[in-house]
Amino acid sequence: MHALTVAAQWFIGLFIAGSTTFTGLVVGIVPLLIVLLTFFNTVITLVGPEKVERVGVWAARSGLLFYPVRYILLPVVAVLFLTNPMAYTMGRFLPERFKPAFYDAAVSWVHPPLGIFPHVNPGEIFVWAGIANGVQKLGLPLGDLAVRYLLTGLVVIFIRGILTERITAIMWTRRRARVAQEPVA
Amino acid sequence: MPGGFAGLLSNIGRAVGGVVGALYQAGRDAINSVIRNILPFMAFISVIIGIINATGLGHVIAVGLTALSGNVLGLVILSIICAIPVLSPILGPGAVIAQIIGTLIGTQIAAGNVRPIMALPALYGIDAQVGCDFIPVGLSLGEAEAETVEIGVPAVLFSRMVTGPTAVVIGWIASAGMFPK
Repeated sequence: MHALTVAAQWFIGLFIAGSTTFTGLVVGIVPLLIVLLTFFNTVITLVGPEKVERVGVWAARSGLLFYPVRYILLPVVAVLFLTNPMAYTMGRFLPERFKPAFYDAAVSWVHPPLGIFPHVNPGEIFVWAGIANGVQKLGLPLGDLAVRYLLTGLVVIFIRGILTERITAIMWTRRRARVAQEPVA
Repeated sequence: MPGGFAGLLSNIGRAVGGVVGALYQAGRDAINSVIRNILPFMAFISVIIGIINATGLGHVIAVGLTALSGNVLGLVILSIICAIPVLSPILGPGAVIAQIIGTLIGTQIAAGNVRPIMALPALYGIDAQVGCDFIPVGLSLGEAEAETVEIGVPAVLFSRMVTGPTAVVIGWIASAGMFPK
């Protein structure tokens, strides 16, 4: 009988530990998240997502100057205003050769802003909140981390855009060469 | 458009009504999103974390995770694993793996096993596979042709092998001076 009680207590203890975690998450994250989501959803409705399309048209131009437009400005604006996954529809304004690179840049930007703009991807908030929660429990401020995550995100998506564009170009050339050879063989 | 005072009043009324309506709808969307996406994930992660913490499993995971996330080299290795072209599309969906590993690293930071200065590189270390499961769909949303998708999928996957670890290093460098004692 005693063993049974101990076993039962151990069993329920697993879930009491879980419930403490749950309370911490709900109280610590949900209220701020709801207010932020409401605010940013309103801003998006009032600004109108169709304005983002102008940036898309502008970013399609080639030239060195348009790299930052294509792989920083366009993904950032698209993700902030259209959110995940509709942001990727902005790729339709770009020539085919830029589309994979734009997707890479845009999809890599759906997590870095989460500390400040959780509305871009609330379903995946824990990519940010999991680690941030640990930092917060130490009594450290989160603002610095959130801003640095967002800013380094800009650098990362820019690098991803440029590199993926290069790789796409190389693979395209190889593919064309292979297709051209096939009738001979 | 009616002029004069009555016109002004009607314009103000319409503008205020528009903003209030947008706010109300935004609140509804926010609550929906919390109930449909966020609370279920919190429930799921609470059960996992609870069991891990209450059983001895936590100590085993702590040792492994501290080794990986306690230093830059470990995080670079983690990001390379996440970016392996065969693995990355499997690890991607819903960012579930990134969210679980992130939460576990968070508990290690809270427990003092991982230094908080590693938080930023860790955010990149767990996320090298972001969107790798979604490339064909994402490209189709951008109205890409079939040939672009065929080339784009491996192009993004190969690119991540380089940019995944690069992001960790960038995060590590950018952590300089964070959380001064």
